[in-house]
Amino acid sequence: MAGILGGLAHAALPANLLFCFIGVALGTAVGVLPGIGPTATISLLLPITFHMEPASAVIMLGGIYYGAMYGGSITSILIRVPGEASTVITCIDGYEMARRGRAGPALGMAAFSSFIAGLIAVLGMMIVGPVLARAAYHFGPVEIAALVVLGLVMVVMISSASSLRAMAMIALGLLLSTIGQDFVTGEERFTFGIATLTDGLGLAVIAIGLFGVSEILMLAGQREEDRAVIQSPRRLRELLPNREDWSRSGWPILRGSFLGFFLGLLPGAGALVSTFASYVLEKKLARQPERFGRGAIEGLSGPEASNNAAAQSAFVPLLSLGIPPNAVMGVVLGALMIQGIAPGPRLATDHPDIFWGVIASMLFGNIMLVILNVPMVRLFVSLLRVPTRILAPCILLFCAVGAYSINNNMVDVAVAMICGVLGYVLRRTGFDPVPLLIAFVLGGILEKSVRQALLIGYGSPYVFVERPIALSLLVVAVLLLLLPLARQILAVVQPRSQST
Amino acid sequence: MNIRHVVSGSLAIVTALLAATSLAQAQAGYPNKAIKLVVPYNPGGSSDLTTRFIADMAKDILGQPVVVENRPGAGGTIGIGSVASSAPDGYTFSQITASPIIVRPHVANVPYDPRKDLTFLGRYMVTHAPFAVKADSPFKTIQDALSFAKSNPGKLRWAVGAPQGGPHLATEAMLRAAGAQATLVPVNGGAEALLALMGGSIEAVVVDDYARPLRDGEIRLLAESGPVKVKGAPNVPTYRELGYPLSPTIFYGLVGPAGLPSEVVAKWNATLKQIVESDKFRELTDRINATPFYGNSADFTAQVKQDYEQMGKALADLGLAKK
Repeated sequence: MAGILGGLAHAALPANLLFCFIGVALGTAVGVLPGIGPTATISLLLPITFHMEPASAVIMLGGIYYGAMYGGSITSILIRVPGEASTVITCIDGYEMARRGRAGPALGMAAFSSFIAGLIAVLGMMIVGPVLARAAYHFGPVEIAALVVLGLVMVVMISSASSLRAMAMIALGLLLSTIGQDFVTGEERFTFGIATLTDGLGLAVIAIGLFGVSEILMLAGQREEDRAVIQSPRRLRELLPNREDWSRSGWPILRGSFLGFFLGLLPGAGALVSTFASYVLEKKLARQPERFGRGAIEGLSGPEASNNAAAQSAFVPLLSLGIPPNAVMGVVLGALMIQGIAPGPRLATDHPDIFWGVIASMLFGNIMLVILNVPMVRLFVSLLRVPTRILAPCILLFCAVGAYSINNNMVDVAVAMICGVLGYVLRRTGFDPVPLLIAFVLGGILEKSVRQALLIGYGSPYVFVERPIALSLLVVAVLLLLLPLARQILAVVQPRSQST
Repeated sequence: MNIRHVVSGSLAIVTALLAATSLAQAQAGYPNKAIKLVVPYNPGGSSDLTTRFIADMAKDILGQPVVVENRPGAGGTIGIGSVASSAPDGYTFSQITASPIIVRPHVANVPYDPRKDLTFLGRYMVTHAPFAVKADSPFKTIQDALSFAKSNPGKLRWAVGAPQGGPHLATEAMLRAAGAQATLVPVNGGAEALLALMGGSIEAVVVDDYARPLRDGEIRLLAESGPVKVKGAPNVPTYRELGYPLSPTIFYGLVGPAGLPSEVVAKWNATLKQIVESDKFRELTDRINATPFYGNSADFTAQVKQDYEQMGKALADLGLAKK
């Protein structure tokens, strides 16, 4: 308790508040720009942190990371270009809301749900974080493989298209994920001698193409008068979520926060998996699941809550085990090392100002973000008033710059454009690119963790059923697959039982 | 005055102006504009951290901005390749580590020939990658681990932070020399290797980010893959001391394209020497458990040449070199 209070006091120092503000403001900005992600921004700012207090440095860098989760949803909602991988899901219902003239409430709810999730995550980190951190040790390749299988089953449920079409897209996504060097042998697969492809296709590059570029092509294919005219409301009240939005979003935000918090603790794709776990959960629990994909606010508030909670809980394994669960945390670890601080089990006792200060700063950071983001809703919504003939080329340019800036590589721009054409063809033929993209991300993790698991299990496939966590995850996956089937059987059986 | 006169007259003026500006540039001396320093790896690792630190200090010494750019991919070879094919004007350099220079060219296709396409500017540090086990492991010495792997083929599971790097191949060479058979579990980076070790999924790791878990008593070092003893661990033998065939230096340095002007090389040698010998740099390397180890262009070139040839021969003997 003394640690928590000390942390709050430390985070409330004027200098730390200032660095927290710089971090979250920058984070929002880079979240908006596709391609320029938090990893690149944080490494750009590393030299500045050489001259800062260690706690202030991590407070600022952390602000960039969870700030990007706020910003990443803005472009997802407005122009269907995910600013970050974990806001891909927001493209589904967030963008649909914007097309129905509800961009304001969508943006507002994205900010509010992130805020609430942020507070829940901070409390979680303070109360159970350090204890749960050790869970990462029990989550080896075997468990990750099982989690990914569960994730793939969920993807089928997300899709607005039929299950068969969704499965076809998943297969394509898994295939695309095999491009690049073989993880075990280093053999090159489908690279055609192009050096850039050695490391596989980039997630952000594909996302920019499949969503952003294909959206522009769709627009170009429509006649001027057919284009959906987006009504932009002028009164502030219409810009913010109304009472119905709130009553629909309450539980999704809570559930999303918990999912994000727990999955964020795990190594790998915790934040990303949590967003669509939340989406699937809400769709399953909804009274009218058919509203999903047509601008259901629950499909936005749940995932938005989960990505922000996960971005914060990812700090737990870093700070209390010294193990970065993702690339962004890897750079933050580097920043701490340069300061002469090696995070690990002893950080909370050796440097309580850093451990508790960073966690407490997230409380202030989230308050700043909501103050920063809500008034900007009006500004962002007014962007939609720009005529399509001007806005569309700008978005295309924005996509090209974003793809280039990831690795400063022109091949990535070409790949984004090719994916744009692919996305266009898929959408015109009734396929949904969302399962493709998610399967692409999970494919890499699945292949890697299955092969690791088999090596760890000395080649025996029983390794997946011998471990309790992996086994239960797989059982849930099978149940989810059988659920629709069971319902159909019930639907046949029930009328008969009623008649008797 | 006809049109031809106008054209030739204008051309003369333009030529004169161009000559004047290039003269002015030469007089201003090197460097007179921003310098690009490529890190061929992802942000956050030792390469990225040290390069950003050097760029930050070089900016003050050279009086020009030094811009760091991450061009990761293919084990560092994409970024180095981009610099190898750039103009040797002294404004584009790459940070390098040992593996893409002395190992990868022997085992994979790389977009440069380290013997011909690069100017080795200078070396700035060496790191360690020890063979480590969990603190409660029954293996007390490297012989314990090797004899276990010999009598239980495939039962020793291990992971390496940098696949196909010097420490990885040196460990493979050791296992073969000892007649031991182990299972290599591929991972992405040292953090993942340590996580697998701590979680009990594997028995051993060869990683360069061993310092924090070692300090906290989570792991035990059994041997060091490089030829230099791990700082503060005098009882941990090196592969070389143990008599195993490969024990490569894990060096970090800077390179430019082949044919750099000698003025540029001299300037960077002086700059790098000043940085590496500074207290601030020593402090940084202490924190990431590396050792500052300055080498000027001539020394570095000679060392790389020797390491390259030795590694090539050793890999060919092991049957690991590309055909």
